[in-house]
Amino acid sequence: MGERGFCLEKEIIPVKFAVVEKVLDLARANSLWPVTFGLACCAIEMMATSMSRFDIDRFGAGVFRASPRQADFMIVTGTVTKKMAPVLVTLYEQMPSPKWVIAMGNCAISGGPFVFEGQYNIVEGVDLLVPVDVYVPGCPPRPEALLEGLLKLEEKITGSRRFPRVESA
Amino acid sequence: MSHITEEIKTSIQGVEPAEVSYPEKGYHYALEASLENLPDIVRFFDKKCFYLECLLCTDYTDTLELVYLFNTHLAPCRFKVTLKIDPQRPIAPSMSAIFDSAYWYEREIHEFYGVLFTGHPNMTYLFLHNDIHEYPLRKGKVPVPPEDKERLDSFKPGEQEDSFFINLGPQHPSTHGVLRVVLKMDGEYIEQAEPVLGYLHRMHEKMAENRSYQQFLPNTGRMDYLGPMSFNLGYVLAVERLCGIPVPERAKFVRIIATELNRICSHLLWLGAYLADLGALTPFLFVFDDREKIQDVLEGITGSRLTYCYFRFGGLYNDVDDPFIEGTKAVVKRMWSRFSLYEKLVTGNVIFINRTKGIGTITKEQARKYGVAGPVLRSAGIACDLRKVEPYSGYDELEVSFPVGEHGDALNTYKIRIAEMENSLRIIEQALAKLPGGPFMAEKVPKKLKPPRGDIYQVVETPRGELGIYIVSDESDRPVRMKWRVPSFSNLMIFPELTKGALLADAVAILGSLDLVIPEIDR
Amino acid sequence: MNTLSQFSSVLLFTVVAVLFALIPLIIAYLLAPRTKGRKTLATYECGIEPYGSAWIRFSIAYYVYALIFIAFDVDILYLFPVALSYTRGGAISEFYALVVFVLILALAVIYAWGKGVFVWKRKLSR
Repeated sequence: MGERGFCLEKEIIPVKFAVVEKVLDLARANSLWPVTFGLACCAIEMMATSMSRFDIDRFGAGVFRASPRQADFMIVTGTVTKKMAPVLVTLYEQMPSPKWVIAMGNCAISGGPFVFEGQYNIVEGVDLLVPVDVYVPGCPPRPEALLEGLLKLEEKITGSRRFPRVESA
Repeated sequence: MSHITEEIKTSIQGVEPAEVSYPEKGYHYALEASLENLPDIVRFFDKKCFYLECLLCTDYTDTLELVYLFNTHLAPCRFKVTLKIDPQRPIAPSMSAIFDSAYWYEREIHEFYGVLFTGHPNMTYLFLHNDIHEYPLRKGKVPVPPEDKERLDSFKPGEQEDSFFINLGPQHPSTHGVLRVVLKMDGEYIEQAEPVLGYLHRMHEKMAENRSYQQFLPNTGRMDYLGPMSFNLGYVLAVERLCGIPVPERAKFVRIIATELNRICSHLLWLGAYLADLGALTPFLFVFDDREKIQDVLEGITGSRLTYCYFRFGGLYNDVDDPFIEGTKAVVKRMWSRFSLYEKLVTGNVIFINRTKGIGTITKEQARKYGVAGPVLRSAGIACDLRKVEPYSGYDELEVSFPVGEHGDALNTYKIRIAEMENSLRIIEQALAKLPGGPFMAEKVPKKLKPPRGDIYQVVETPRGELGIYIVSDESDRPVRMKWRVPSFSNLMIFPELTKGALLADAVAILGSLDLVIPEIDR
Repeated sequence: MNTLSQFSSVLLFTVVAVLFALIPLIIAYLLAPRTKGRKTLATYECGIEPYGSAWIRFSIAYYVYALIFIAFDVDILYLFPVALSYTRGGAISEFYALVVFVLILALAVIYAWGKGVFVWKRKLSR
């Protein structure tokens, strides 16, 4: 990921049974604990997702951990500046495996509305620093969009979706 | 007001204050200072109980201009003091010994423009970091000389023995965003707190110089994501004042209603977050419930839930309809009944009172020297609310009252914010009753705005305090300089002073009571 | 031999307890993924490098709590054999002796309370 980004050794798992892995994946997907990484405006929508109206807790992801050592995934909500980049990478490395990243909001996906000719301080997208699993676009995305992103992450982990996708008629 | 100009003419040599038209410019007097008499002028204003509202720098390519804005709290009397500096050797005397608020403004100007302030105790990085090799806000590409880089980079705590430094870091649930405070601890007591900013510096001021006035509108909502309507309003009023665009009555009242609804949303979130910092997690849920109801109403007219961009130059984006008015009435009715719930849940709680009473007491003199704003200022005892003192956009037609505290501690600030929410409900009721019909947008607003040459300073009262927008225009469609004087910046300045000798848990309580929003500090 | 066999249940209890703790650790060691980065084993301090070393002088206020804790820890150690001896029957005088013992130790806490050890000033004036 470049000299700015993260640096991890290859992930090793000593013993792997297919059935056990399926059960473990199901367990991990149904209790994903995020690390509080609210940077900017999208953090308020993340907070709104965890409150009573949209309730991310019903998917098991409601326990926001402040310390990365106890968290499963990181929702990067907001603009990542060059000053903040080493902090983000440190926190990503301090999370234990297995871990995932959701890039929420346009700023985390590609710099958002702050990319202009002569910009000197933002990282244009958090995927220049850490590997991202799900992108949730919007400025800020609605809480329902973040929930859809969480469901997509669960689908990525387990291989099947919790609810069937509602297609507009 | 004029007696001050007489006094300043007699007491200091070579000073000629010129009276300017306040409705056009936003300030009352302008005077030109020189390097020799600037300290005397600033001391004069300090003696007359003025406060330093803002200190900014503008790059006019052939000269750099420092602008000091002084104002009094109770009756607006704004003086603009300008000082021209040579861009090849930009040096100015530091005013941080006289006005404490100049301490951070001068650090900011130093790292963005390269102006060296002699006598300043600490010219290290405030917003930027050592990967930036040119002064960002200078018009040409001016590289940072190596000795300046060394001076900027010289904040290295932990070199002394026996001091325990701890980071109340950028990733922290209680700092309300990406604020980092380096605390020097003595056991559980804080000896010194040094905030390090810039973790969310999104270059708004540089973007303003590269965007037209219309293109900059969405940025205003991102600066303060909890009270974007008031930032929107301030910007739109500033440009309307600069161009002389009249606003129809209906738009004025709708602006008031939308801004006050947003103010209630902002104070509600502050309440939830503050109590979560103190350990009470239940009010957070109640608060978001109320916020969702208000956000539904505002979503009907603006289309967004959080970062609104509803106002346009000359009026509104679209008109309000009956569902909005019915929805607002329902929201107001519901909110009135919620205050007794918060009273029972929070205000009488023994733990809450013990954690906030007597914590973070601000005196009137401190409030003046640091230039604090908003509910923090009013809790210190200074009765200044810009909606009443310098009314804008139709507030002069409504009856605005505001609460003033006595002690200046965190409990007072809490009570003032609750009372402000109640006042906002009253203002909304009055505005709804007075809402006239008619157009919601001025006629003949040019598509490409090219304001006349000059500068202007517009203030509005955001939920956090006084927001000041200083725009310099040179008849092109992009501003030469747009400076945002934000209330959270001045409120954070007083934090190191308040936490000297306090317990770490109390520092978190003080930080919460200041109601900071970091993106507006970092801009 | 007879007395030793009484302790066989204790031995069984200890072995099961140790296994109860070790088996999940072994399962996790075998099945869980492991990665290591540059900063994985660094101390967590909100994402920033911690300043200075952690081996510094601690404030004296913490030591007082530690001393009081040690005193009462030893106190409880003495209470264990007394609690066991009640099953063998005893006079009420044993109980009174115990109460006197605990009261003398509690005097230490009351003295500390009176001296203001448990109240920390809200703000130090500098």
